Amino acid sequence: METKVRVTGLRKRYGAIEALRGVDFTLQAGEIFGLLGPNGAGKTSTLECVLGLREPDAGTVEICGLDALRFPREVKRKIGVALQSTALQDKITPREALNLFGAFYPEPEPTLRLLERFDLVAKADAAFETLSGGQRQRLALALAFVHRPEVVILDEPSTGLDPQARHELHAEIRRMKCDGYTVLLSTHQLDEAAALCDRVAIIDQGRIVATGTPHELVASAASGQAVRFTASQPIDPASLNRIPGLRALRSEGLSVYFETDEAAPVVTALMVLLAAQGATLWELEVKRSSLEDVFLKLTRPENKSMIHLA
Amino acid sequence: MNGLREHLGQSLRLHFRNRMALLYGYLFPLIFLVAFWVLYRHEKIPLIRHMGELLTVSVLGGACFGLPTTLVSERERGVWRRYRLTPLPTWAFVVSTALARYVIILSAGALQLGLALSLGMPLPAHPLDLWVAFTVVSFAFIGLGLVLAMLADNVPAVQALGQCIFLPMLIIGGVAVQLASLPTWAQHVSAFFPGRYAVEALQACVSGVGLESIGFCLLALALIGVAGCSAGAKLFRWDAAQRFAASNGKLWLVPVLGAWLAVGLLAEVRDRIAVSIDGATVAAPVATMPAPLPLPPWTKITAKDVAALDFRVPSDGGVVSPFAGPEEEASDYTKDEVEAVRQGLLTWRPGLEGDDVQRVRNLVCVAAVPDSIQQPVERYLPPVVLSHLQEIYPKDKLIKILTWIVLHPEDGSVIDSIADLGVQGTAGDPAVVRERSYLYSIKFILRITGRIDR
Repeated sequence: METKVRVTGLRKRYGAIEALRGVDFTLQAGEIFGLLGPNGAGKTSTLECVLGLREPDAGTVEICGLDALRFPREVKRKIGVALQSTALQDKITPREALNLFGAFYPEPEPTLRLLERFDLVAKADAAFETLSGGQRQRLALALAFVHRPEVVILDEPSTGLDPQARHELHAEIRRMKCDGYTVLLSTHQLDEAAALCDRVAIIDQGRIVATGTPHELVASAASGQAVRFTASQPIDPASLNRIPGLRALRSEGLSVYFETDEAAPVVTALMVLLAAQGATLWELEVKRSSLEDVFLKLTRPENKSMIHLA
Repeated sequence: MNGLREHLGQSLRLHFRNRMALLYGYLFPLIFLVAFWVLYRHEKIPLIRHMGELLTVSVLGGACFGLPTTLVSERERGVWRRYRLTPLPTWAFVVSTALARYVIILSAGALQLGLALSLGMPLPAHPLDLWVAFTVVSFAFIGLGLVLAMLADNVPAVQALGQCIFLPMLIIGGVAVQLASLPTWAQHVSAFFPGRYAVEALQACVSGVGLESIGFCLLALALIGVAGCSAGAKLFRWDAAQRFAASNGKLWLVPVLGAWLAVGLLAEVRDRIAVSIDGATVAAPVATMPAPLPLPPWTKITAKDVAALDFRVPSDGGVVSPFAGPEEEASDYTKDEVEAVRQGLLTWRPGLEGDDVQRVRNLVCVAAVPDSIQQPVERYLPPVVLSHLQEIYPKDKLIKILTWIVLHPEDGSVIDSIADLGVQGTAGDPAVVRERSYLYSIKFILRITGRIDR
């Protein structure tokens, strides 16, 4: 598969702070790649170096086979970018913005087609200051597509959006994949990464600490299944501890939490125990480990280890 | 080129949608013009002597406030950061921004000129030259505006930096206060400011001899403009987070300051300070202009002509054409100066030679020149001159000659200095001397005919 983006050994220092400490990742053609990390982990610095907004102290960035540091203008013709907060002049209209940005490229997409595709026709001649957050974000995406880019880079695209706008944005990003675009998505929203990305890289303290598909990452860091139940009366913890395979037991009022490798036999034993004690089961929840668990595990200071699956 | 053209067009469209920008860019220059019109309402030809100043203020405001304010506010919003992600090179954005500002300033200048014409100002003497000079002036100040935009980290900083340039230029830079009114040290300082050359260049095209007399000014402005635009492009900052203190290339400020310094030193070396104070070479060399039409002899002036004069003149106690009353006593220092003039007039050659009208005109200038440069002695000399005139001319003849001067203010020539009578200073603009001569002639007539008993 063709490699669209290759970042190797990226380093960036701001005074005494080492923001990037050797970041490496690659994007294959047609995939959605998520860059995940807590605030201050180095996501923005990485993207800024990739986009040419900052010059790295060391490392290389190759986009569509071109060295981004040596050929920035050529690379800018290959990438479409939607920044975290799309900032345009208050009085500019979506139509004008698309015309303007289209004029910066040799073969722009027709403005009307972009307005239609991103559902902006009704607001085509409205001032930017009157657009809602979702409409602004759709305009940002339209601007990213104004020149038919090969790689789309989205920096925290759903920040500040309401659930409806966020849902629409996710649909649009899925559509990008269907249309064959390669997408680099920076986000700190784990559900977004899990729902959209083919692969993710978790960045923490300036370096990639895990890469792989969301499923692989979850499986690799899996701590089994988490079980929570609520009974009609308090259950004696000592009796629960006698159930084989149960660990990390804790209780809060009538709710009890524990982890286990295999939930089915444990739950069966639990039902027997409750019946023996004359208690009724009010709620039962069995949950597999999520990307959030992996993320927290990898980005908490006490849980540092590197996982590379793909 | 397509990107540059589209960005230029869009910048203009956005400017004309911004009410505050329109207010500052268009309304304020017009208000300024009306204020000047009211302030100098006694001038025979409205506003023509001030268009250099008025147009310079418009360019200065548009380039040194409007341009950096727009640029910095867009940078703060992140618009320029987004532009940077496009393949259009930096120079294209800089050129397009500068061109847009030039169009805005040019339209503001045209509007100002239009209003001046509607208020009675005649067409500029050299319209095409005026456009060329205006373009060079705009270039110089737009370069300065670009540098300010790169120095300022935010919009309040633009205002602070802009004022640091604007106010000195207005007050001691020869823009709002005429150079001749300034002390000598300030006249030397003004040679290092582009405002002085801007006023000089524009005024020469409005009421002087046009481009042929302002080569130095254009050269100075072009040099300042090239330095400013180059430094502005080199210091260009896309991102609000990038502070000037932390940015590279601060040494590019050296050529900017160097250009100002070089221009000032060159002016000093070439004795341009004195040359430009003498308005005859730059502003309005009316003194050497021939009369436009053959004039009837002053002897044909009748009592009816005298009665028909417009006797509305500024008050004797005001700034324009002051006239000391008989009970007013000059200070010791001024008293000596007045006495020196009184004695000097008896043998003063311009008061003795030539035809009667020119002799009287020269003598009236002895009152008009100190008034035009606001010398401390100004209010005490008109009574001396009147007394001298009454001694050497019969009453009727003097009234007719003075009436002739009032009715033909552009006739003959005026003098710009009475240093040979012991009063230092040179009038900056012959047109002012003519205007003050007109006012004093009326005041003399008022007294000789008994309309005023002082």
